Amino acid sequence: MDFKLINKIIEMININKSFPNVKAVDNAGIDLYQGEIHSLVGENGAGKTTLMNILYGLYQPDSGKIKIRGKDMESLTPRVAIELGIGMIHQEFMLVRELTVLENIILGFELGKFGRIDFSKTKEKINYYLDNYNLEIPLNKKVRDISVGEAQRVEIIKTLYRSTEILILDEPTAVLTPQETKKLFEILNFLKKDNKSIIFISHKLREVMEISERITIMRNGKHVNTVNKEDVSIKELAKMMVGREVFLNIKREPCKKSKKILSVRDIYVTGEKELSKLKGVSFDVHRGEVVGVAGVDGNGQSELVEALTGLRKIEKGDVTFKGKSIKNLSPIEIRKAGISHIPEDRNLRGLNRSFTLYENLIANHFNKKPYSRLIQLNKKKITKYGNRLIKEFDIRPAIGNTVAVNLSGGNAQKTVVAREVDMNADLLIASQPTRGVDVGSTEAIRNTINYIKKKGVAVLLVSADLEEILSLSDVILVMYEGKISGIIPAEKAREDNIGILMTGGKVK
Amino acid sequence: MRRSSYLNLLITIIISLIAGGIIMILLGHNPFKVYAELFKGAFIGKFNIGNTLGRFVPILLTAIAFAISFKVSVFNAGVEGELYLGAIAAAWAGFAIQGLPKVLHILVCMIVATIVGALWAAVPGVLKAYYRVNEICTTLLLNYVAIFFTSYLVNNQLSSHTGIPQTPKVLPSATLTMILKPSKANIGIFITLAVLLFVYWLIHYTTLGYKIRSVGSNPFFSDYVGIGTKKIIVIGMLISGGIGGLAGGIESLGTYNRFLDGFSQFIAFDGMLASLIARNNIKMIFIIALFLASLKNGALGMERFTSVPKSIVDAIIAIFILLTSLEGLINIRRKVKTIEA
Repeated sequence: MDFKLINKIIEMININKSFPNVKAVDNAGIDLYQGEIHSLVGENGAGKTTLMNILYGLYQPDSGKIKIRGKDMESLTPRVAIELGIGMIHQEFMLVRELTVLENIILGFELGKFGRIDFSKTKEKINYYLDNYNLEIPLNKKVRDISVGEAQRVEIIKTLYRSTEILILDEPTAVLTPQETKKLFEILNFLKKDNKSIIFISHKLREVMEISERITIMRNGKHVNTVNKEDVSIKELAKMMVGREVFLNIKREPCKKSKKILSVRDIYVTGEKELSKLKGVSFDVHRGEVVGVAGVDGNGQSELVEALTGLRKIEKGDVTFKGKSIKNLSPIEIRKAGISHIPEDRNLRGLNRSFTLYENLIANHFNKKPYSRLIQLNKKKITKYGNRLIKEFDIRPAIGNTVAVNLSGGNAQKTVVAREVDMNADLLIASQPTRGVDVGSTEAIRNTINYIKKKGVAVLLVSADLEEILSLSDVILVMYEGKISGIIPAEKAREDNIGILMTGGKVK
Repeated sequence: MRRSSYLNLLITIIISLIAGGIIMILLGHNPFKVYAELFKGAFIGKFNIGNTLGRFVPILLTAIAFAISFKVSVFNAGVEGELYLGAIAAAWAGFAIQGLPKVLHILVCMIVATIVGALWAAVPGVLKAYYRVNEICTTLLLNYVAIFFTSYLVNNQLSSHTGIPQTPKVLPSATLTMILKPSKANIGIFITLAVLLFVYWLIHYTTLGYKIRSVGSNPFFSDYVGIGTKKIIVIGMLISGGIGGLAGGIESLGTYNRFLDGFSQFIAFDGMLASLIARNNIKMIFIIALFLASLKNGALGMERFTSVPKSIVDAIIAIFILLTSLEGLINIRRKVKTIEA
């Protein structure tokens, strides 16, 4: 690597930023040299994004110093930041779905005169970046028709087009397949060679070790350490990030395969998009087994889960659970049959954000004795029940009257998990159980899944996080365009063969 | 509802009264004198306080009716129609059913009014829940159907044949006993307060209330945990319409002792207003409805003893609404800020 720390272009020192009730950034800082990829790691809520939003001028810091190319920046706005060559790619893509890729790239910075856009000149400029950095995207397709990986490349070109020298990427790999991640890293390395500087935000430590030279760790808004990649191990990084030892790759309990409990036979289900229609899906789940469903988001996983839990209609085929058909039963009937469900979107389905913790936790039981009699709720019993779950699953704050909207992502998810696991169902369908959840809670949730499996519960685990699938499942189904493109037993599953199936390829 | 929001409410009331005072000065009146008359007109003397209560009853009931539908996320603009149908149903039961003892007769009339109102509201409820028909449209249009239908009945089959479009007087056994004579107040106020307490209990302490709040605040969550969203929407509308009908029943049996064509000049819309200002919070609705009723009744006295037109009160109410919605805006902005953090 021909890279040297010579030219310091960004320095953020002693930055403080408070929001009502939270100190988001607490005397933290970061520095960046030209031609460097610098990773910023930390759990959710550690203040990474806030720190970067300050650098991009979206927030004003309460105190602290920001130097860009040696110059003190008194007040920074996004406009100024863009002029200084800073570009930020947010977690959610900022693209207009109905416009083409090309139109999205130039939006707000059109070349041309008198309101006429000079498309040939524009294309020339964009092609320069496409060729130089080996970016492949169809310029004339509409954004709604392209894949997530492509959308991200559009975001990258968009920033390059605005003459970006300093690129901030906020958790760019969260939504990508392994292959797409590889491609992204290639692009980032191209950019680095071209002397651009990159801040890479992530909590996937393996990726951080792969791509960056230096790593800054944040915890609770504070700067913990900045280290050279060569000097640390993943384990040490995780420890600095969480503040204690973590074991994410939990030891999978051997599977004592027994009776078949769920059998899905050739089902057809309508989808949100053409791609995600289910077209003849069949598989089985046994007691005491975790079946992982891998796949790029939007290939029918959500539709599968909704169909099995009664939230979406099955058009053809059959689903039998414990020997009886549960095809197109109502959600409550399916729950009563013994299936619990952790939905993929905790804010939309998993929780009622205007309910308190107690009210959310009792949602499966409020209609039964002793939690209600006739129609009167028994608040004492409900409180007691809630307090038990809060304690068992370590939900914080441990105050049952907290309204759910005030919970952090991890604790909100723990609330959903607590409620669904405590249903003591025979089958748990868990969809993205740790998406957007901090490392500590992720560990706890994965342990819970492993634990109930040991007790003989069957688990259908749908996750976009391959690591999670690999570490928990006994059998892995891969979904591609509404079909199962492969079933791989855990012993044979690796990132590469699953990745190929995820993109529609064939594995021998 | 936190303590600070009650304080906010108090401040808002004071500011709108001050603003009204300034308008009075501009019109060349002494605001202290005018307000004194307004206050007297609303609260001083059996007659005034009784009439304030008489106005308070239908505003509060229709406000509760609206609030319940809102809690299952249906905007029931049709309480006025339910009020009319409940009123004529109660009046009919009041003069046509004979030979019942007093308490029982009143009970029967109220039940009839409630059922009629509930069934009427169930129509837009079912349309909304099962066929996604916009409820504002259906409820508003059904208002006209209801009002003209009662008008037809009172001019034909149910007419008292006196030249005035009204039904015969209800029997003494069905009349709500007057209190605070000579005002129009009657024991309907106690029925109303009982309904208020019942609804508060229903919403916050029962399984049905849990379902109602759940469906209204997050239908996706409700479907997912197995609360039948559609059924609950219809049940919410049944309760809403029932209370609207009951409000009409009290008006017929208590205030007028008969059904009078066109008796309600948009009472239910005052109730809707009270509920919206109170953000459908049952406790707050009580306060707002009382505030509106006193202003409206006080305005009569004010107009009688000063030369200030009673429309000034509408101006004060308008300013009050502006301020409360402004407060809502500020709260939303604050929320957005904390979410961003």
